[in-house]
Amino acid sequence: MSADEDENAAELKIGEEFLKAKCLMNCEVALILDRRLEQLQQMSDDPTNQMSQVFEKSHQYVKRFSRYKNQDAVKQVREILSRNKLAEFELCVLGNLCPETVEEAIAMVPSLKSKGRALEDDAIEKMLNDLSLIKKFE
Amino acid sequence: MFFHITLERNMQLHPRHFGPHLRDKLVAKLMKDVEGTCSGRHGFVVAITSVEDIGKGLIREGTGFVTFPVKYQCVVFRPFKGEILEAVVTMVNKMGFFAEAGPVQIFVSNHLIPDDMEFQSEDVSNYTTSDGSVKIQKDSEVRLKIIGTRVDATEIFSIGTIKDDFLGVINDPGAAS
Repeated sequence: MSADEDENAAELKIGEEFLKAKCLMNCEVALILDRRLEQLQQMSDDPTNQMSQVFEKSHQYVKRFSRYKNQDAVKQVREILSRNKLAEFELCVLGNLCPETVEEAIAMVPSLKSKGRALEDDAIEKMLNDLSLIKKFE
Repeated sequence: MFFHITLERNMQLHPRHFGPHLRDKLVAKLMKDVEGTCSGRHGFVVAITSVEDIGKGLIREGTGFVTFPVKYQCVVFRPFKGEILEAVVTMVNKMGFFAEAGPVQIFVSNHLIPDDMEFQSEDVSNYTTSDGSVKIQKDSEVRLKIIGTRVDATEIFSIGTIKDDFLGVINDPGAAS
């Protein structure tokens, strides 16, 4: 399992498979699981019976930690973040944690500044400002 | 972090299910078998969102069971070393504290809690700074960094730290009182 040993999200080493996969922000997962729960409730009278513990816990978790509640806001957040050529993983960390300053954003996602990318502090700051605006007007 | 990935699985179906509802049966069985499971490679499977493709079934000799290769998309939760995420504290003791991020348990040892926070065993055990301004107790929300994961057949355990910049308590349930 040498691949596991090298794993480091700070340097974006999360394995080929996950790097290519679509990441989901907590707020997106909340939307998906809400819908899923609705479906199950329609299908049977006693939905709690069929829920796995993993589903239950994940649902509670994403409800507690989603920053954006309505669907349009979630869509906008993804749009703003994806303008900046971020990796999926970086995009979701920023969307989940909503850092307030550039310094904090870089501490949360060190890979923003590594590998000599052309992402300027100004660009990061603008992105964070846009995010907090969405939050404000939601 | 949650991911939306495509996975494949060979499903065995009993011949009694063959008929007009074969596909439904197969999907129902897939959900029952897969959702809530955990593997070291992909993490916890939270929910199947769609079934992409069901391949041609192959009758197994001797039993009559048919094996279908099924491709499906699902939401998985997989913690990564170096990842920063938010979690809810579930238990505090003098060794450190446990927190939960979705299905994953994370342990933060007292060596990885800032040095100015001391363990207090009052009626609700907690970690508090000397001036009492920051408190970690059950139900606190903390932001932590995962520094290691251990994978079990059915569970993933993680070790985290809050001894770094911009980590620590984000919401303290006792602060209001």
